[in-house]
Amino acid sequence: MSASLAPECNEIKERYDNCFLKWYTEKFLRGTATTDECAPLFQEYRKCLGVALKERGLDITIEEARGDNKENDDQHMRRS
Amino acid sequence: MVKVYTSTYAYDHAFPLVSLAYFLRYPNPYSTHVQSTDVISRQFDPQTRQLTTTRLHLKRSKLPSAVLRLIPRSLLGATAAGDSQSYILETSVVDVNAGWMKTESRNLEWTGVLSVVERQDYYRQGELRPASPASSTSFAQTSSDLLPSALLQGKTDVVASVTLRSPFGENVKKRRAAAAAAKAAGDQTESEPKVGFFRSWSQGSIQRSIELIGLNKARKSQPNAKEGMKVVLERLREGGIVGVLEGMRRDRETAFATGLHVPGNHGHDDDDG
Repeated sequence: MSASLAPECNEIKERYDNCFLKWYTEKFLRGTATTDECAPLFQEYRKCLGVALKERGLDITIEEARGDNKENDDQHMRRS
Repeated sequence: MVKVYTSTYAYDHAFPLVSLAYFLRYPNPYSTHVQSTDVISRQFDPQTRQLTTTRLHLKRSKLPSAVLRLIPRSLLGATAAGDSQSYILETSVVDVNAGWMKTESRNLEWTGVLSVVERQDYYRQGELRPASPASSTSFAQTSSDLLPSALLQGKTDVVASVTLRSPFGENVKKRRAAAAAAKAAGDQTESEPKVGFFRSWSQGSIQRSIELIGLNKARKSQPNAKEGMKVVLERLREGGIVGVLEGMRRDRETAFATGLHVPGNHGHDDDDG
């Protein structure tokens, strides 16, 4: 599995990744998913990652990039 | 000023498998420059059944040296010489019922010099076909942990593009105006080297040069991105997810064994892969 940029988040990331892969192949791709079953694990992973992003000043960079490109994304990633 | 590189091709793999390979594509033997991948956000919409994911990749990368030569060090700042990492923000939407996945990656840094947006859109080719007896046997045995063999039949079309834009020098006009104002105010030392630099190169020609260099780099790295996906797809087809994870472990060991992780070794500096 790919590593996290923050080594301290690797363990929870791996647990989340495993959960996601299982859900993606067993539910999502078969069209039987009703909820994201890995959301609780994601919250845990995201909490760890959030600290690491903030330490590196990346949280703001990411928000800015997403904000700047929202129009483009909406056009390109249009939900049809 | 924008340059676009586009290409279309197809994978001999079913759309569900390709979408999974996209999420699992790092690490692969063609991506030794990718150091980490994190999920920033992920949303599943139960109404549309679409999955939207934002990820952050950290790549060992730098501006092509040809670009660096075009830009005065004074404008790049202190990190220019040694900077060897770059962050890439990737957004993807998968609609498994409609049979498409749209992806977009962009650089987070250096956007003032060169903004690179890569898109890969994947489309299920035709309709899902029932498994034929001849070809379903191998899938049924090796990928039973993955998907019903009916979901593994078919091909996937890809439309890939890279958009490059260099806004470099666009605020030079502002700087000139500021310098002129400063001159009028009696301060003549302001911004002299920069004005001198841009006297010999028009802003437009520098932008075009940077974009052209970026375009050549994209042309060279796009095949690597494609090959990397193929490796992951083959591992999926042969060994399912277990096969992919085992392959990743080997790739990481190889990367460490050959010392590719050592900072300062820029064996691969492609932005893609």
